[in-house]
Amino acid sequence: MSSFPLGDRGPSSMPAILRPPAILIVTALLFGLAALAVPRFGTLGNIENVLRIAAILGIVACGQAIVVILAGIEFSFGASAALASVVIVMALPATGVVGAFLLGGLLIVAIGMVNGLLVARFSVPPVIATLGMLMIASGLAAWLAGGLPIDAPPSDTFSWPARGRVLGIPVPILIAAAAFTLLHVLLARSRLGRGWYLVGANATAARLAGLSVPRLVFSGYAVAGLFCALGAVILTSRVASGQPMLAPNLPFETIAACAVGGLPLGGGRGNVLQVVCGVLIVAMLNNIVVLLNLPTAYQLILLGTLVVTAVLLQRDWAFLGQAVRLLTNGRRG
Amino acid sequence: MNGELPMTIEPAIALAMRDIAKRYGATCALRSADLTLRTGRVHALLGENGAGKSTLVKIIVGAVKPDSGSVALAGRPVAFRSVAEAIAAGIVPIYQHLSLFPELSVLDNLSAFQLAAGRAGLSRKALVPRDEARAWLTRVGLDLDLDRPVSLLSLGERQLLEIARGVGRNCRILVLDEPTAALNGAEAERLFAVVRDLCAGGAAVLFISHKFDEIERLADEVTVLRDGATVIDAAPIGRHDRATLVKAMLGMQVEHEHRSGSAQAEPALVATGVRVAAGQPLDLAVRAGEIVGLAGLVGSGALAIAATMAGAAAGRGEISVGQERFAVGDRREAVRLGVAYVPADRHAEGLFPPVSAIGNASASALARFSTRGILGKARERSAIEPLLRRLYLHPARPDAEAASFSGGNQQKLLIARCLALPNLRALVLLEPTRGVDVAARAMIHRAIIEMARTGVAVLIASSDLDELTALCDRYLVVRDGAIAQELPGAASTEAIMAALAGKAAA
Amino acid sequence: MSPAIASRLLIAPAGILAAGLVFAAIAPGFLSLGNAGSIAGQGWVLVLLATGQMFALAARGFDISVGAIAALAGTLAAMAANSFGLVGLLAAPLVGFACGTLNGWLVGRLALQPIVATLGSLVALKGVALLVSDDGQAVPLVDAGHATSLAFDPVLGLPPLAWLALACVLEAQFLLSHATLGKRILMLGANPEAVGLVGADAGALQIRAYQLCGLFAGLAGALMTARAGAGLPTEGAGMELQAIAAAIIGGTALSGGVANAIAVTAGAFFVQVVLTGLNLTGVSPFLAQVTVGLVILGSGLMDTALRSFLARNRQPKDISP
Repeated sequence: MSSFPLGDRGPSSMPAILRPPAILIVTALLFGLAALAVPRFGTLGNIENVLRIAAILGIVACGQAIVVILAGIEFSFGASAALASVVIVMALPATGVVGAFLLGGLLIVAIGMVNGLLVARFSVPPVIATLGMLMIASGLAAWLAGGLPIDAPPSDTFSWPARGRVLGIPVPILIAAAAFTLLHVLLARSRLGRGWYLVGANATAARLAGLSVPRLVFSGYAVAGLFCALGAVILTSRVASGQPMLAPNLPFETIAACAVGGLPLGGGRGNVLQVVCGVLIVAMLNNIVVLLNLPTAYQLILLGTLVVTAVLLQRDWAFLGQAVRLLTNGRRG
Repeated sequence: MNGELPMTIEPAIALAMRDIAKRYGATCALRSADLTLRTGRVHALLGENGAGKSTLVKIIVGAVKPDSGSVALAGRPVAFRSVAEAIAAGIVPIYQHLSLFPELSVLDNLSAFQLAAGRAGLSRKALVPRDEARAWLTRVGLDLDLDRPVSLLSLGERQLLEIARGVGRNCRILVLDEPTAALNGAEAERLFAVVRDLCAGGAAVLFISHKFDEIERLADEVTVLRDGATVIDAAPIGRHDRATLVKAMLGMQVEHEHRSGSAQAEPALVATGVRVAAGQPLDLAVRAGEIVGLAGLVGSGALAIAATMAGAAAGRGEISVGQERFAVGDRREAVRLGVAYVPADRHAEGLFPPVSAIGNASASALARFSTRGILGKARERSAIEPLLRRLYLHPARPDAEAASFSGGNQQKLLIARCLALPNLRALVLLEPTRGVDVAARAMIHRAIIEMARTGVAVLIASSDLDELTALCDRYLVVRDGAIAQELPGAASTEAIMAALAGKAAA
Repeated sequence: MSPAIASRLLIAPAGILAAGLVFAAIAPGFLSLGNAGSIAGQGWVLVLLATGQMFALAARGFDISVGAIAALAGTLAAMAANSFGLVGLLAAPLVGFACGTLNGWLVGRLALQPIVATLGSLVALKGVALLVSDDGQAVPLVDAGHATSLAFDPVLGLPPLAWLALACVLEAQFLLSHATLGKRILMLGANPEAVGLVGADAGALQIRAYQLCGLFAGLAGALMTARAGAGLPTEGAGMELQAIAAAIIGGTALSGGVANAIAVTAGAFFVQVVLTGLNLTGVSPFLAQVTVGLVILGSGLMDTALRSFLARNRQPKDISP
């Protein structure tokens, strides 16, 4: 297993590398079944399509994962991405493409910092703080844009983050890979990330062990904002406009991805592989709904059911993992 | 009439519990407990933390089902499936101001049992009539506005309110769990009068307390639990003296060879005129290399004093560590100055259950393993793994999550966290081996002694006398929230027990 | 009544007064009779949602699915009304009750965190509403004339449906202060551990609290449908936030155990006064939304402040930790 603080549970003498985590098997199974049963799912074009969707979702889910590990929850991602997209398009003439992207990104980080301040310093429950911020950001976005999308002038630079390719690989996928690497370094290699796990696992114990709990919580929300900023830039570039209703379901989808990946919303546990798999599962399911020509309503129903069942399954997730291990390895004394 | 006639007719047995056993996972809370309550009598139940008192009470009130053994109520076997059933059968529990509803009014709280009984329908509320409620309050000597929210009452008032709620019902068995912990003298007197009243009316009372004065004055019989088993069964009060009872609670005490400490060393952890949360001033100094034991029965305040010395509890003043000092309550600064701490409640305050053993052990020393924010995991591993090996962490899986270890091994992780501090100068431990198996206990004791040898000032608060006598160079006996007496390391177990019981001689 | 709890309950009326004075000064026509009527008419949907939310909060829970429940219930009720006449609107509270039962079962029996359970419901119910309504198409009431007249034409000062909503609020307050069930829900919120110690079933009480929450959300859905003359499957988004804010401003403690339906009604009208006042001053509706967001954050801060104020005024803790 890659991430260290997620201790493994079952007593087994097998080397870690030979024991594939259950979530990876679930993801592979879903992919295999879909490829067999759903027409056009397995085509190269569709797979790239799924990965593009998963890329944006995944980048933002990195931020959500940090907040969830801290035993919090973040609802303002979609609205702050929308606000950033409007600000970016409006700032374009004055600042140029790069400057506008930077400005929009910084705005989201600032929103994350305000959320962090409210939760860490003023102990406002994360739900209330981030839902309030959702209202504020989406209200501001609609007000700035006058309630309607504003188009960005067509430009290659502007559409590069969403549509460009480097060495034949789409840029969003590359950025997602970078984001996951960064998340891995933060969670598994940094002192900050270790602090997040400890605070999420037991905030009282963390304080008594001498950690600065408010500072860690604040930094978590701020870094989460950074990931959301990356995602927002790609989203804005893809729609080539400032949209006050850019991604209203983004917080739900990222929470679902974390839950499906097996991060307990109670905090303290989770690694990059789980986030990646959770994101892929959510993206594949959404894609399957589209390919089967089902109404988009099914996407929502699926998403909602997924959040609840994933959290329910988590209690038996360890059991499921052990069952899979038994199947793959045979019984061990 | 006839003074010669001996008391041969025993009152009827109200509750008989035989050979009760209860396990929680790997830990055995009760092995073989017996308890007999007789109508019209006050029965004291004694036992230290972990002896199984609270589990026994939970079984009586129907909150927990025993694994084996029999319970009979007035001769008829019973097996309560819920608290509601036990209450309906006339068993009334009174907890230590735990089961009040702070935001609700006095009247609502008095009516809680009635409100909770039956189906949750839309029926009119089942409130106790106001004059009856006032009569209940008068009975315990309270005069309260029935509409006042309980959150505004003092602790003593709350405790009496809870008692009033219990005695207001027609109870056959009254369970009083440390009812006087928050009462002043007059309030306690009032309570005793009420209890005697109830007994005269034919109720059986189970009285759990650590205050011998009260037990001697109120109780007719006493049962002592130790390690989940009954060691004294329904003995008439007065048959055993206090020292015998304390000895029965604490078990056979092994006299340990006096550990020669380095008493000449400089004080390393010093509190002067510090105010503990409850308000008592505290003066306490532990020398480098010295192991000082804070001895106190449950509720004495020994734990609060120890927590304050580690910066883990609020209060006022400063505590010095060598030449430096930290403000009381500033745990972060205390850690920076090298004050390690093992809290009493391992699960609530110590452990990070989903985090690996290594992660648990390194939590206080992350700075030591990091350069510019990046955690040197190889460095961390190479520093922590030897510590875990030294403590014989079992199973030896440093990457397994803490939740998967037994209690004793989880406690080793907290000890390892102390050992990992780079500049460890003082060590404060609260109940360091509570709920821990024998092997882990020996390992933890050895680690504590080794730390003291390297010049660390050690302060241990424990209700386990055997543990203190095995380790300490000096004892501070705590009673009523303050240090009442100092005893040398050579003090006999009897002397310490006498000091704990609150009398110079038992 | 203690000053701390009284101050909780007085914040909303004081807020209405303050907001009223401010808008009366800056917005001509704010104090007119017509405007008062418009506020009184518009506020009731929010009042019902907030009252439902109050039950969830009082039991130390949380329900962010109330908006979605209202939208789905209102849409299904419109369909029922088109088949069976206006009586069909009564389907809305039934649908709400069913959704609440689902939430309550997830929280009370399967022990899911309230936020997880109701987030799942929120998203899924949104989907169901789209599904039953042909991807979000409004469902016009055949008998829209009657429905809107019930919702708008005043009888004795208030439209009949507003009287109905008022009756529901009073019933909720009666439930809280005089019925066993209400007291038991408050006990659960005040001290979840103790409620089992005195012999009540905490899980069953949680289910009841979410059922009440769903029931009121369903009533709000029926009112929304009657006012619009159509079932609006996508309406109600964002209403859950306003409802939470209104419930907190109305003195409901996030830590449970304190709730008063009358004060919550005042909280809802405070939000409505602010929205209407901003509208009259010519502020963009989007900025009004921003203001609601600020009100939500303010309510969260207010709850924290009140809690620490209460904690400071409590007795010191026992000497043993």
